[in-house]
Amino acid sequence: MFEFEFMRHAFLGCTIVSVLAGTVGWFLILRRQAFAAHALSHIGFSGAAGAVWLGVSPLYGMIAFSLLAGLAMGNETKGAGALSPQRDSMIGLVLAASLGLGTWFLHEANGASSMATTLLFGDVLGIDTPTLLALSTVTVLCLAGLAFLGRPLLFASLMPDVAQARGVPVRLTSLGFMAIAALACSACAEVSGALLAFSLMIGPAATALRLGLRPVAGLATAVSLALFLSWGGLALSWVTDVPVPFWIGLGAAACYGMACMVRR
Amino acid sequence: MAHPDNLSLDQVTLCAGAKTILDNVTLTVPMTGVTLLAGRNGSGKSTFLKACLGLVRLQSGVLLLKGQPPELACRQIGYMPQGLSDTALMIPAISHVMAAMKGARWGIPLPSRARREDAERLLALTGALSFARRPLGLLSGGERQRVCLAQALTDNPKMLLLDEPLAALDHEAQHQIVSLLDTLTRDLGISILLTSHETEALGGKMSRILKLKNGSLHV
Repeated sequence: MFEFEFMRHAFLGCTIVSVLAGTVGWFLILRRQAFAAHALSHIGFSGAAGAVWLGVSPLYGMIAFSLLAGLAMGNETKGAGALSPQRDSMIGLVLAASLGLGTWFLHEANGASSMATTLLFGDVLGIDTPTLLALSTVTVLCLAGLAFLGRPLLFASLMPDVAQARGVPVRLTSLGFMAIAALACSACAEVSGALLAFSLMIGPAATALRLGLRPVAGLATAVSLALFLSWGGLALSWVTDVPVPFWIGLGAAACYGMACMVRR
Repeated sequence: MAHPDNLSLDQVTLCAGAKTILDNVTLTVPMTGVTLLAGRNGSGKSTFLKACLGLVRLQSGVLLLKGQPPELACRQIGYMPQGLSDTALMIPAISHVMAAMKGARWGIPLPSRARREDAERLLALTGALSFARRPLGLLSGGERQRVCLAQALTDNPKMLLLDEPLAALDHEAQHQIVSLLDTLTRDLGISILLTSHETEALGGKMSRILKLKNGSLHV
């Protein structure tokens, strides 16, 4: 299957995205923001639909919309407990507004039904060189951002109250992380589509955390599993002619199920 | 006068919503040994501790802790909030302590033997080393309190602010925590300001009691 350029591009794209998805997904699950990952990819779909309407690359529309939404989600008010009471409401409202806009964009873009299907379910076999370059740039930016935020982000994710008391700028850290998560969701959606983008982010990360691993081991496991799922999904799709997101979604659930059995 | 061991309030007014917790209070009290902040439920003890850390703003007045305003003093204070943490319960206890070490610095916390040994030392000090590698969510209330105390002790604080450290613990666990606090003050010279309703468990370990009632604070 590596004789074909589109398959080589697909594997390369999956590799880039998996490294990003595993890393960002681990922090998203740690911070109980799985809903945010789900919402961001759907919001990215609306941005991509807007880009189609305007005649620019869907990836850029996806990134722009997700980034704005991520910043809106990250700008939360801290409640009495560890988690913001407004978090889910804020994410839900941003999602609802974005999907409304996305529907309108698709309505305005003539003959966009095939494009909508591509945006929703992804087109990993259609990744070209410019897209690979864009994915690489996004991944490098996100990983550099995470490396900078790493220590206070981990501290604020584990113990928000104590971190704030020690002088960690919790809101700024949250905003920075959500911007990174938005970019990562856009990149994942390019591979597995808006509907299943979060499966590559959430499945491996949830499995790694279920295993009760320390942060470094957990991050390494999440990245490895994301690579295993995306590469495995591509290979199985080649053999069975079933779409890649199907295998990624099912594989993610299976990995988590096995982790539950291992760590009862 | 801004003495390095004092808690000093000068015409301080502190509110939480519509409720006035401190009403134009002026007081200077030494912060050595163990100081109990006493008051009824809802009197504002937790809010006052947060004000000491700069997490809640004063309506007016000046508060100095260890001779410094809260925003600066918090760097040498270990804080243990009320209630058990419900975040990241699947992460091993030792990782919770390691994450707090120099946790406000930017960059990546690279794995190092020195950091691990330092975390193990703190966990041993609080009697939590035997379960350091278990996920936090699998520990009992008393065991998690010990891990939280080890977190509060990271970065060599000169003072601890502990919000209800004895709540939801059985008598034996309360006794063990009180003994530990006594050791911290005697052997390490760490001063402690804590809130608690378990005054019996504290026994004679308290150096003084600060009473918070109807907007006033007095010894």
